Amino acid sequence: MREIDMTVIETEPPAATATGDLSGEAYRVAMRRWLRANLPASFRSDSAAFSPPTLPQSIAWEAAMYRAGLAGIIWPQAYGGHGRTLREHLIANQEIGALAMPESVNSIGKELAGPIILAVGTEEQKRRFLPAILEMRDIWCQGFSEPEAGSDLAGLRTRATRSGDTWRINGQKIWTSGAYRAQRCLVLARTGPLEDRHRGLAMFAVRLDAKGVRVRPIKSIDGRESFCEVFFDDVEVLQSDALGAPDEGWAAAIRVLEIERATNRMYRAWRFENELRHLISACKADPTLAQLVAERHYEVRLGEIVVDIEVLKAHVETAVDALVNGDRIGARGSLAKLHWSEAHQRFAALALELLAQASLPLHPAVQVARRRFEAIYLQARAETIYAGTTEIQLGIIADRILQLSKGK
Amino acid sequence: MTLTGEALQPSEFAVTAARAVADCADLSLREQAKHLANDGLLGVIAAHDVGGLDLPLAFAVPVVAAAGSGLLGFPLMEALLLGRALQESQPRTAEAVVSGEMLATIAWQGSVSAAREGESVVLDGWVARAACAREADYLLVRIGTSGAALVSTNSNGIVVEDATGLDLTVPEHAVHLESVTISAANILPENSWNVLCSDANVLRAAAILGSAETCLTLAQEHASTRRQFGRALSYNQAIRHALARQKLGLEGIRHAITRSVGDEAGALQRDAAFLAAGVYGSAISEGALQIHGGMGFTWDVPVHRHLRRVRALQAQGDASGVLAALGRRYVGAIAPASDVTASR
Repeated sequence: MREIDMTVIETEPPAATATGDLSGEAYRVAMRRWLRANLPASFRSDSAAFSPPTLPQSIAWEAAMYRAGLAGIIWPQAYGGHGRTLREHLIANQEIGALAMPESVNSIGKELAGPIILAVGTEEQKRRFLPAILEMRDIWCQGFSEPEAGSDLAGLRTRATRSGDTWRINGQKIWTSGAYRAQRCLVLARTGPLEDRHRGLAMFAVRLDAKGVRVRPIKSIDGRESFCEVFFDDVEVLQSDALGAPDEGWAAAIRVLEIERATNRMYRAWRFENELRHLISACKADPTLAQLVAERHYEVRLGEIVVDIEVLKAHVETAVDALVNGDRIGARGSLAKLHWSEAHQRFAALALELLAQASLPLHPAVQVARRRFEAIYLQARAETIYAGTTEIQLGIIADRILQLSKGK
Repeated sequence: MTLTGEALQPSEFAVTAARAVADCADLSLREQAKHLANDGLLGVIAAHDVGGLDLPLAFAVPVVAAAGSGLLGFPLMEALLLGRALQESQPRTAEAVVSGEMLATIAWQGSVSAAREGESVVLDGWVARAACAREADYLLVRIGTSGAALVSTNSNGIVVEDATGLDLTVPEHAVHLESVTISAANILPENSWNVLCSDANVLRAAAILGSAETCLTLAQEHASTRRQFGRALSYNQAIRHALARQKLGLEGIRHAITRSVGDEAGALQRDAAFLAAGVYGSAISEGALQIHGGMGFTWDVPVHRHLRRVRALQAQGDASGVLAALGRRYVGAIAPASDVTASR
């Protein structure tokens, strides 16, 4: 466990969850109040005071959010969760989205590893791993993609071989976001021959400080070193860190991933709205841009972004309704993913186009907006690639939703 | 979604509506009115007092979608909306519309001037995009920028022009009103007109959903059965991805409509549903035409009828104006950034 100066973030007590009996609008108000009272101005990318948080600051902030009831919302209380409903999860995410807040440094732990462990983990694993994720003692990264298996995970070559209670893992992972800062990697490895394709795959919770693990950062187009290559050279992993049985575990994980694709970062639509409001407010502070956004051309184009966001909200809210009603979500997460990733790129391009026309000297609000939207524009280029590229999502929709024949 | 006390579900209306629409295929407009009324479909949202079912707008959505899907040649949306809009001020007319005794329609474009003369009002002007106006008994027209007037199409001074426009299924007419005298009691207040227009946007989206769904089904069938280069068209990734995009659009329309009739929905959600339906619906019907290749350009394949209908509905609801107004309202509601913190 890394040492964290928890005094970095001093927060008000989490009044909302002290009693745990708030619901509906009262819950929303409590979450909103807490977030607005506690989110430091320096974390807000729409603020002139913005300065990207350091890792210890992010960890402390996310731990504070958890204590306030804003992480692990639907996880069972037995494993550190708040045991709330999916609708409350949606409410909390709407409030998180409404503020320009840094992305989680542990979203893989909270939205991928955690739900998979809940679905396939042993009781001991749930008690060991889940609270550590929520308390930010363990940051996770995802070891799925490989140089020869990007979109096609059936081509995985990283191998896990068992000897008694110990597994040995050999291979290489790539595009592993945040591996340099993580304690654990959710590794997908092959236990059978390559010809088995999707069969013979198993998942492991591998410690990144284990002997034989090497992490090499990769510089991305936004200048950051956020994703990495991870090499496994005869890394020993105990059976107690194997997640689910080979085959069964992966099949269960696929079902979890279906739901996750539809529900992860549920705040996204509301964050896009926060970005749009920021863009417009910055434009209105500048005489040239204020005039432009009042012209019909930009009214129409901004209106199109509003409609995109409303449609995204509709995708998210109806998915929540479906899950609450016990319906299978199937591949519909691919629809939402396809929509938000492309809509965000359209929006980011429009933001750059508008801000490029600002008066000189730049108004401070325009400077803040430019800094934010230039980063968003570049990062949005990754959004149609990660978590299944646009082409993969289209393939899933064609195969599994439309069930189009591929036959001769 | 709002439910009634009897826990009736909007989706339960879809099957009845689809069957009724199919039955209407060879009937005259007046026979269709009686048939649809007998199935309870014209009064879905009208009050019990005028023979309606008094259900929320959500229940009209599957009915209008079924009409779109089955290319119903009847001004169904107008009948549904007028049955409710007239139920208090003119209950007998509302009852006649709900029971299929009378045909009523709405001119969605243009407006007339109104001059008060005692208990009468004299209307002058041009209106258009009035579905099936040639055969209708009553026509609702917009007055200037305030309210609307219900006019008998038998009144002196009314001339219904020949149908124009793309839509072959529900022909739209321009109507000239020259010194048409009506009773002042036939004037609907501004608020009624606004509610009617707002609900119409949801129902247009529903009609487009029905058309788009049918187009995608036709395109899927064609792609699965038509063989080229020794394989079904659907073998090709370009075709698969095109159809997948159409599915994305279709579900976008469906979810946006669901959201627009939710308890917390307002004008923004309704406009968004209509606008999304226009954009995605056009793309889906145009895409279906393309997938059909040369066959798609023939009169006999019904895709063009849906495409015509989608484009007509988009224009009827003034999609372009609605989009600009939505953008204007959104921009107008946001304050300029201060130097410190931009958005809240």
